Amino acid sequence: MSDPRTRTHTAPADETAVDAPLETRATSIAVHNSTLRSTGRAVLNNRALLSFVALAGLWLVAVLVSPSFGSPATTQYLLQTAAFLGIVALGQTLVIITGGIDLSVSGVVAVAAVVCAQTAETAGPAGAIVAALLACAVVGLFNGAGVFFLGIPPIVMTLASGTILTGVLLIYTNGSPRSANVPLLKALANDSAFGVPLALVLWLTIACIAWWLLHGSGMGRYAFASGSSKSASRAAGVPLQATTLTMYIGCSLLAGVSGLVLLGFTGTSSLTMGNPYQLLSIAAVVLGGTSILGGRGHLLGTVSGAMLLTLLTALLGTWDVSEAGRRVALGALILILLLSYSRESKR
Amino acid sequence: MSLELRPRIERKTDPRAVIRNIGDAVFQRSSELVGICLLLLVLLGLYTYYYPSLFTGRSVVVLSAQFLPLIIASMAQAIVMLTGGIDLSIGAVVSLVMSVFAVLAGTPTGVLGAMAIALSVGVLVGLVNGAFVAFARLPPIIVTLAASFLWSGATLLILPQPGGLIPKGLISAYNKGWNGVAVGVVALLVMLALWKFIARSRFGLSIYAVGGNEQGAFASGIRVRMVKLLAYGLAGLFAGIAGIALTIQTGTGDANLGTPYTLNTITAAILGGVSFLGGIGRMRGVVMGALVVAILPILLLFIGVSPFYQLVTQGGILIVAFASKYLLTRGKQAL
Repeated sequence: MSDPRTRTHTAPADETAVDAPLETRATSIAVHNSTLRSTGRAVLNNRALLSFVALAGLWLVAVLVSPSFGSPATTQYLLQTAAFLGIVALGQTLVIITGGIDLSVSGVVAVAAVVCAQTAETAGPAGAIVAALLACAVVGLFNGAGVFFLGIPPIVMTLASGTILTGVLLIYTNGSPRSANVPLLKALANDSAFGVPLALVLWLTIACIAWWLLHGSGMGRYAFASGSSKSASRAAGVPLQATTLTMYIGCSLLAGVSGLVLLGFTGTSSLTMGNPYQLLSIAAVVLGGTSILGGRGHLLGTVSGAMLLTLLTALLGTWDVSEAGRRVALGALILILLLSYSRESKR
Repeated sequence: MSLELRPRIERKTDPRAVIRNIGDAVFQRSSELVGICLLLLVLLGLYTYYYPSLFTGRSVVVLSAQFLPLIIASMAQAIVMLTGGIDLSIGAVVSLVMSVFAVLAGTPTGVLGAMAIALSVGVLVGLVNGAFVAFARLPPIIVTLAASFLWSGATLLILPQPGGLIPKGLISAYNKGWNGVAVGVVALLVMLALWKFIARSRFGLSIYAVGGNEQGAFASGIRVRMVKLLAYGLAGLFAGIAGIALTIQTGTGDANLGTPYTLNTITAAILGGVSFLGGIGRMRGVVMGALVVAILPILLLFIGVSPFYQLVTQGGILIVAFASKYLLTRGKQAL
């Protein structure tokens, strides 16, 4: 399956990653292979690598099934649409690494688009975008505060806040959200520079920032520690409050960015536009090799997970199946993919 | 976490200590339920204030028929939560069973045949969820979330538009009483008796044991995987019964009617004192929790709150229920 050389390099890092303190992890990598030291904790572990291998395999299958998948135009379109899911999934990774989960991303995607569309006329494009992102940050703060200060399990907290968001949007829009034409967002979603979709550029830029946040900064180390063991990290003096709030706010902001780009892509906002992203963003994270229980994983795996899911959806689209049939197939495929390489041995 | 996990007070032969111990035991056993009981009484009091004929036979018949689906679905959620899991697919399963029953009820299979098939679908779906959780060792959140996608798609395949033919007699017997008997109340009592029987059996105790301490349960010879699998299957059966009750209550099958059940059943179970970590909880508490969740929106309508606020209150109660429980128990632990 995966390249044997990479396997030997990364296996020690993966082993120690589970429960060893972070300093030990860093040094063990250095001992085993000094060339990997520069990338340090950012070493791809097996599972994240595996998802890239799966992506390559699936792409080959896709090209064999329908040669149009190899064409630049289709690739461009796929990368563009993968960016919408990919940006949400990056945020989801931040939260899942800390041992949480965010089921409210579907609501937040809609919040960003609806708020922006609603305020675009009065506040101007820049004001509307800022307002939308502020609203998302508030939701993230609300989620993080509920999880941290009120001790509510993340599933329950974010499920509840997602429902509240849908209700709030109903009240705010009176049941009929507007469409809006924001040129900046439209360009961001649809245009390309030198054949590279701007949405992809945005996605990869955000991925680099999130990569630094999770694998390069102190906050990222705290996030991994929090996901491995809450009580141990509390005892070790990890600032759990700041970490939890940062990651939840980050997740909501990214879901908001995706909502804005989607608004640019479709030109309209709707209350249900974020719904597919709830399951798909979590699936992208898990298929990217990150443990749903937290504390283990790599952000770049999520990038490949999002591409994998987008490609799967597109493949299903080539057979002329109904929306319902696609849901069934996607749900079943996600379960099968999970079965094949994401089993949790740790309990 | 829970009061029941605190070490019991010393047992001496001193009669006063014995009485104190009994008092503590009674208080501790039901202290989780005192709060929800009081809350329910307050809500019922408010209800009678706005609608004085609440406790007449007719309203009991109508309301029990209306509340029954949520109560039974909440029992299903509670069973899964007792094993330490969570079922995010319950709304989709309720819809799926609903559509199967609604499509088949008007065909030559007959109503009873349709019920049997619909219930088997519910059990089967529960067993699939359970197999992924128990044997594939996948976390319940992601399994049931993916399953909700799968089953809601299947529901749309079976019943793209709301519809189905439910016999008129059945609808009126369920909603308006059958020879003066409130079908909803009877069905609820039967379900509670069934659960009581299961909970006292070896299987029922195993569910509590697995949810309370999986390793410990395994070490004492319980077949943990089998118990989990069967518990999810049982939850599927309960969700199926809820789906059938909902179909008869509304008179048609509708693929979207099940959706709110996911959130509402979790709220009902939490309100009813089921621990999120598994192993602790009583079904009578869950029934009271479900009643609170069912009554509150009606009360808000009485007060004059717009239906748009329903979703906000649904999410709000869940957060308040959890937060108050957390803050209260944390206060007790500090004492």
